[in-house]
Amino acid sequence: MALLQLEKERLVWRARQLTGPDHRRQSSFYPTLDAHLQGGWPQTGLVELACGPAGIGELRLLLPLLAQAQSRLHVWINPPAELNGQALAQHGIDLSQTLLIRCQNPQQALWSAEQSLNSGCCSHLILWAPKLTAPQAKRLQVSAKDNQALMFWLHPQAEPSTSALPISARLSLAPLATGLRLQIHKYQGQWPQHSCQVDMHELWPSLAVPAHLPTHHGPAPLSNIAALPLKPR
Amino acid sequence: MQWLYLYFPNLQLDSLLHQQAYNQACVLVDKNEVVQTNSEARQLGIKIGTGLGQAALLCAQLKVIAYESKQEQRLLAQLAQRLYQTSATLYLDPPQGLLLQTSDMLRLYGGLAPYWQHLQQPLMDRGLHYHYASAHSPLAAQVLARAGNDRLLTNPDEATGLLRQLPIHHAGLSYKLSLQLERLGLNTLGQAQALPRSALGQRLGLTLVTYLQQLEDSSAPSRPAYQPPERFRQRLELLYEIEHSTALRFPLKRLLSDLEAFLAPRQLRVAGLSLGLEYREHTAERIHIGCSDGEYRAESWLSLSMLRLEQLRLQAPIIAISLKTKGQMPWAPLSAQLFEPSGGKLTAGQLISRLQNKLGDHAVQQVYLRDDHRPERSFYQGVPQSHYQIQQATTFLRPSLLFTLPQALNHKPDHQWCILSGPERIQSGWWDNVSICRDYFIARNPIGQVCWLFRTPREEWFLHGYFS
Repeated sequence: MALLQLEKERLVWRARQLTGPDHRRQSSFYPTLDAHLQGGWPQTGLVELACGPAGIGELRLLLPLLAQAQSRLHVWINPPAELNGQALAQHGIDLSQTLLIRCQNPQQALWSAEQSLNSGCCSHLILWAPKLTAPQAKRLQVSAKDNQALMFWLHPQAEPSTSALPISARLSLAPLATGLRLQIHKYQGQWPQHSCQVDMHELWPSLAVPAHLPTHHGPAPLSNIAALPLKPR
Repeated sequence: MQWLYLYFPNLQLDSLLHQQAYNQACVLVDKNEVVQTNSEARQLGIKIGTGLGQAALLCAQLKVIAYESKQEQRLLAQLAQRLYQTSATLYLDPPQGLLLQTSDMLRLYGGLAPYWQHLQQPLMDRGLHYHYASAHSPLAAQVLARAGNDRLLTNPDEATGLLRQLPIHHAGLSYKLSLQLERLGLNTLGQAQALPRSALGQRLGLTLVTYLQQLEDSSAPSRPAYQPPERFRQRLELLYEIEHSTALRFPLKRLLSDLEAFLAPRQLRVAGLSLGLEYREHTAERIHIGCSDGEYRAESWLSLSMLRLEQLRLQAPIIAISLKTKGQMPWAPLSAQLFEPSGGKLTAGQLISRLQNKLGDHAVQQVYLRDDHRPERSFYQGVPQSHYQIQQATTFLRPSLLFTLPQALNHKPDHQWCILSGPERIQSGWWDNVSICRDYFIARNPIGQVCWLFRTPREEWFLHGYFS
């Protein structure tokens, strides 16, 4: 009986259980990603995203999820540039529930993250930090789990941290013309998958080319348009 | 009418020593003369009126503090503020006395004894020494209390009897007058009362006649009764100098519990505190501690204050602290969400206050929109407000990460860049001298970042943001 309960809670899982959506996941609103992650992002916990350089589409991956969950605060800590309110509002993010924290040093950033999670009034937290040690990751993971919050840790390395951090998921992102290629290194409750492609054309038609078009049929290189005459003032 | 007089002979010294665990001889000195002593000093034979030189001879390690009548008046007002919760009508009698009208309160408390018990508690909490007496007239109560009577008399005859036996030099008359009376052979107050008033007035002046009349007059004093202040304001002098900001915790706790006692019965909360730190040989400093939701509990204020104080480096040792409130508002219970998945431990406002107190007010921000076509002016980051004004966003696609200052590209984008959309011309701001004329493009660079680029009329290229 106890084992059945554990299995239902997905605390214990059988290796042959590779398919079938999990009711304890929240949809990422990208059908291919949901299929690979057995239903989507975890409800709670800490997710590591190794993004490489900023601006490849890492926030586009999260915005549909954030736009859906607005009952509690979204906390953004140390984004690499100004967070454009116009863009967030366009994608349906409630700015009144958005809190932006800028910290001088990494210790303060971690303190703010932990305080926000532990307050219980934050549903999603996005932290930009170069490095987390195993004890730090564990504390944040426990705080997020205890307070029904999902935390994303974004860092600019192309590869995820090598040490086995006690967190819910570890993914690395690489840019594609059609969207993103996700490498799933660790995902609690399932086998690690090798990789999957996230097609962003449907949600962002002007930023990603459709998947079925070969890349060389894509838009013209910029150099042709750079010669466009500008009206003299 | 029935009156009760409370007399605090050691008000300033008692308040100073209270909770500071000082067990050496300590005296307050005014103009080279000892005016208040603690019990250790009294044991060594230091009396009120002793010269400073003689007191120093009696005890080499004597701690000497200057007497400040202003500070004592403040303490008296604080005490009145506290006693006002028990007794409705009270009068300040500076520097060391409080006069309370008891007759109206007896029905509420059911007699003099339970009423007196309620009054005693705050006095004991503050570690004050006091003398008291109740009598039928304000002056009679005052004279008996100052004489150290310490009795609650309900029957006016008893009080009159005690007054009659009172030695004349304890009657609170001026030194000259009591000397004159004693030379006439009048050693007790009763003897003076027995003489005809007109004769007394002719020989010794009107003051004595008025005094004798007031002893029997039970009506209220002509000065206005004490009115509690609208706002909380308190100052605490420290017996020891404090050199580390974390050591401020204990004196601060005392002030904050007084604050709670002030706010709770009024059903108020405050949005901010202003904590004044008075340094030795340095100008004073004020620290602001905020809590946007408003709070009245001492415990919450203490944890918020400590977040701020932990980061403070003291410029010099602290000799006194003071507390003022800002933004008083009625207390209202925060409405909780019944169907929310998790019961939050803090509200958003409380979380913001905690973060602000630790990181500084400008580290915690909310993003606000503005009607402007210039991308860098179309939004701004500001301190979170409880009422967020929602504004419509632009319909043009905008990048989620934007640089405040566009970054110049070293060279023109070449064939490796892939244009995704554009140009979108933004020409605006001619009216406020920050006019721009830019052609914006969305382009993917060779490493895969989706960039927001613009070109100026001078053919300069800038990177303005990422479609992250």
